Amino acid sequence: MILEALYETLYLTFIPLIISCFLGLLIGTIIFITGSDIIVKSDKKYLKVISKVADALVNILRSIPYLILIIWLLPLTSFLTGKVIGTEAAIPALVFSATPFFARMVIIAFGEVDKGVIFASKAMGATIKDIIIHVLIPESLPALISSITVTAINLISYSAMAGAIGAGGLGYEAYQYGLVRRDTGLMFISTAMIVIIVFAIQILGDHLAHKVDRR
Amino acid sequence: MIVLKDVTKSYGEVDAVDHVSIEVADGEIFGIVGYSGAGKSTLIKLIDRIEEADSGEIIIGKDDICKLEGKDLLEKRRKISMIFQNFDLLWSKDVLDNIAFPLMLKRVEKKKRRELAKELAKEVGLEDKIHAYPSELSGGQKQRVAIARALIVKPEILLCDEATSALDPKTTEDILDLLRKINKEYGLTILMISHQMEAIQKVCDRLAIMADGRVIEEGTVYEIFADPKEELTKRLIRTVDTGLDVKKTALELKERYPEGHLLRLTFDEVTSQRPILFELSNKTHIPMNIVSANIKNTAVGTLGVMYVHIEKRHDIALVLSELNADGVKVEVI
Ligand SMILES: Nc1ncnc2c1ncn2[C@@H]1O[C@H](COP(=O)(O)OP(=O)(O)O)[C@@H](O)[C@H]1O
Ligand SMILES: [Mg+2]
Repeated sequence: MILEALYETLYLTFIPLIISCFLGLLIGTIIFITGSDIIVKSDKKYLKVISKVADALVNILRSIPYLILIIWLLPLTSFLTGKVIGTEAAIPALVFSATPFFARMVIIAFGEVDKGVIFASKAMGATIKDIIIHVLIPESLPALISSITVTAINLISYSAMAGAIGAGGLGYEAYQYGLVRRDTGLMFISTAMIVIIVFAIQILGDHLAHKVDRR
Repeated sequence: MIVLKDVTKSYGEVDAVDHVSIEVADGEIFGIVGYSGAGKSTLIKLIDRIEEADSGEIIIGKDDICKLEGKDLLEKRRKISMIFQNFDLLWSKDVLDNIAFPLMLKRVEKKKRRELAKELAKEVGLEDKIHAYPSELSGGQKQRVAIARALIVKPEILLCDEATSALDPKTTEDILDLLRKINKEYGLTILMISHQMEAIQKVCDRLAIMADGRVIEEGTVYEIFADPKEELTKRLIRTVDTGLDVKKTALELKERYPEGHLLRLTFDEVTSQRPILFELSNKTHIPMNIVSANIKNTAVGTLGVMYVHIEKRHDIALVLSELNADGVKVEVI
């Protein structure tokens, strides 16, 4: 029973994490590039507008509380997964909340890359794709890894909330045994497992970020 | 050959580059000096066409780079490399990969580009640092990496934007020597811009002074130092410790030698090579007393200023005409 909950928690964390990081990187990169004076020529005003609008959307989406997002997304969820309840049903809402968050982190990380280096790369003939792949991502890798870590930890706590729509997982387990059945032992084990997962992700993330940091 | 004809660029109200015309010959080291905000960096960006000029022509080789498009433009820009004040290396890559970066952008195979990078690391004196990361290097070493990275594409023109401004005097000297070496070795044309007259006068063949987007004075280092015309030029020259601070020295000497004739002689690279004063003394039998002398080595050779005192009883007309005939600039103080 508890192992099944553990599996569900990991599932609810890592599947949305992979999707969100991918989408967030894409969206964050687009917002950063279109908004950058160095990368695109300053006379392309419409790109600045795209950047501003997308940035605003990301911020709005990011400020909607997760539980409310679940309710808003019910129609989409049932369309995508055919269900409104259960483990899969929690995924769209998790992705919708983690993606804007991660996109924001990507924009911040890219913003910290030395402007001079971006300029110099452009002077050396780098295309926008070159700048993304060979400059922005490698130069901000420690920050990106930290962002993935934070996003993963956020997803764990969100997935506990997703228990509300019957998504299962350790959070739901703790709630069931602790509050409903008053089984303190099982509640303690569920909580401890969540704490251990969070710590493990944090330690792993910090270690990786440190390892790639040559600054 | 870089020829700028009446080049203009403004940002809104600011005329960053205002009707600038200069010519830089092949293989020459040309300097542009001016205070911050003079428009030097903008000028360099126009030459590499990172920014578009509003009007004017920028002829590089045979073509006006402002008119090139697509492949031709890329081809032309490939012949131009740049280095900057802050070196702008990728901290995530080691020395070899930083040097090889432009070749990676050109999709040169990894083994081949690292091979070439190794050669250039040697060229700039970093063969024992090829696996170090930028964070492990000193400022001078970082600029060496940047220079190697600029050279790896075999450019014809090197644009240096404040390349030594972040370095201490000794390191500046080393980097300038390196720039001169590659200028000779590769016949590379170098356009150097800086707010430091000190650095420019050491390596440049010719230089221009820029202020408020305009070139206000231009000439060989010798011409500029021996005979500055603009107030700003004089001020910039004063920052260089050449001992050529004309007014002050002259006044002090005049106080010390109120009697007799005080002459200021300015020697250039040719006249400073010959024992002119010795010959003159022999010829005229007039004893000459050297009361102050200063010799400065620049890229174009020696620039010397000498103050000579001659007793009142002698007639200096002959001295003056002889010196003029020898090509020494003479002023009676
Ligand atoms: N991208 C830009 N947008 C607006 N103004 C600029 C820009 N780049 C330079 N300028 C202005 O142009 C002038 C010249 O700048 P710059 O070429 O950087 O001078 P320098 O390199 O001699 O210090 C300055 O007044 C500066 O503020
Ligand atoms: Mg500048």
